[in-house]
Amino acid sequence: MSTSTTDRPATGGRGTPPTGEKHRTPVRHGWPARHERLTAGGFLAPAVLLVSLLLLAPFVWTVHRSFFADTRTSPFSWFDNYTRFASDPALTRSIQNTLLWVAGTVVLPFVLGLAIACMTDATRFSRLARLCVVLPYALSGSAVAVVWNFMLTTDGAVNQVLTAVNLDSFAQGWLLTWPGNTVVMIIANAWQATGVAVILFLVGLQSIPPETLEAGSLDGAGAWQQFRHIILPQLRPVSIIVIGMSLVNGLKSFDLIWVLTQGGPGRATETLAVSMYNETFLELRPGAGAAIAVVLTVIVLAASWLYLRRQLDVKGG
Amino acid sequence: MTVSLGRVLRKATVTVLAVLWLIPTWLLVVNALVPAESYSGSPHWLPQGFGLFDNMSQAWDKANLGPAFGNSLLYSAVSALAAAVLAAGAAFATVVMPVKRPALWFWAIYSGTLLPLQVFIRPLFLSYAHSSLYDTQFGLVLIYTAVAIPFAFFVMRNYTLTLPREVVEAARMDGASWWRLFWQIHVPLTRSAMIAVFVFQFVAVWNDLLFGITLATSRNIRPIMAALADLQGNYSNVGPPVVLAGALLVSLPTLVLFFAAQRFFVSSLKIHS
Repeated sequence: MSTSTTDRPATGGRGTPPTGEKHRTPVRHGWPARHERLTAGGFLAPAVLLVSLLLLAPFVWTVHRSFFADTRTSPFSWFDNYTRFASDPALTRSIQNTLLWVAGTVVLPFVLGLAIACMTDATRFSRLARLCVVLPYALSGSAVAVVWNFMLTTDGAVNQVLTAVNLDSFAQGWLLTWPGNTVVMIIANAWQATGVAVILFLVGLQSIPPETLEAGSLDGAGAWQQFRHIILPQLRPVSIIVIGMSLVNGLKSFDLIWVLTQGGPGRATETLAVSMYNETFLELRPGAGAAIAVVLTVIVLAASWLYLRRQLDVKGG
Repeated sequence: MTVSLGRVLRKATVTVLAVLWLIPTWLLVVNALVPAESYSGSPHWLPQGFGLFDNMSQAWDKANLGPAFGNSLLYSAVSALAAAVLAAGAAFATVVMPVKRPALWFWAIYSGTLLPLQVFIRPLFLSYAHSSLYDTQFGLVLIYTAVAIPFAFFVMRNYTLTLPREVVEAARMDGASWWRLFWQIHVPLTRSAMIAVFVFQFVAVWNDLLFGITLATSRNIRPIMAALADLQGNYSNVGPPVVLAGALLVSLPTLVLFFAAQRFFVSSLKIHS
């Protein structure tokens, strides 16, 4: 799983360049060291400059902006933009939706991905079944939205099926009423996102040594017991990654909602990611938009911490 | 007895899940095939006639997918390539070269991938408008490259850490310059990781919608997903077969890449983990 991150000759290696230098010192003095640092700077500069100018500076600017009112003159307004989360019903709804999305995008791809990865094997039938599930992962969020709009519109496929089996009473405008519209979009998202969970779980399953499974079956463990006590504990690292990834992707999802409903009707399906866009560019309230962006960032960072924590000690950061 | 029952149950569950998953994909393909003028108003479940290319060309014309397609090819290819090369250079500097405070540089670059895009867009929009980068191809390539770099750097750095140092040291002692070392030894050594990064970022840029609708507006600049969103907005006018054919059309490059480079996808996911 983490071969690339764990075996790192570089910790020991970081000491090596000086020894290499010792070999060279008779030849070059003083300035080679500075020259070397300049060259290293040359290699780093494009990446560092692009990231800091186009990403980090705007981030700082947005944090700063979130403490100023919406008007053009923008007086400093302390936390006024943040208190709007309590007073504005559209934002309260947005928070509720975001929580729904987080719950849905963590649980659905995780459970379904784990189930499909564990229940399929190397047979042709299994590989075909897995392909069906992984396929949507190759589509963009916008294309997924187009497909699901076709499923969910009033004269779409879902209502057609419901009418055909005489369940007309269940046929409805799926994208029109809350919370149903948020729930069906979460399902659409799971349709796309489960594929990557399947891939990750398969990679994780391959790293389980077959001896442990053989030992388990020799001890008389049934399929379920094997899964519960041998496979599941060994999938822990992958599980954390799948949960962390789904969590962050769920929080960031924008395309699907934007193309399907634009956050509507009446801002009922907005999540924080969509609310930020709406407040900033449509309602023209940049202060509120900045505050939403900052809140979203804090939540995303907290969620990323979940799976980054494991890598931090490896990174030596 | 119990074993075979379990196996039957398992197979049944897998079949049900696979069929459920396949239904939207199936409907997408079948209804994109239905000739637009013979679409009856409710979804088709079986292929009827072959209007796929007609539908695609209608989508191509009505939503100006043509220029958008070319733009996105340009944005994805250039940004992904630039990000892969620049990230490889930065990884080379922080891992192979004796640079001071490598952890600081790591975070200076990597932190960009942790933040949601929403936190960048308004300042970018304003400064793009001021510097006449707004609604230009160069402006979009610039932001797509910047957004792709942090994760590309993360992958390249992890990969670089696994390389043996002896090669580089030997070349240094032979008097090779760092520049030559990078292009002639480091790049060929890290080629597989760079391809993985390229594929991954190509797909990410191709699929982007947010920057496409905030930093561009004209039909000959905007990327493909913005054009698709526009086409979807005309759903009732152009009819489902055309919109679905459009969605299929814009997904073709990533579908092809996905299957051609499945190995790289999986390995880049592994590196990520």
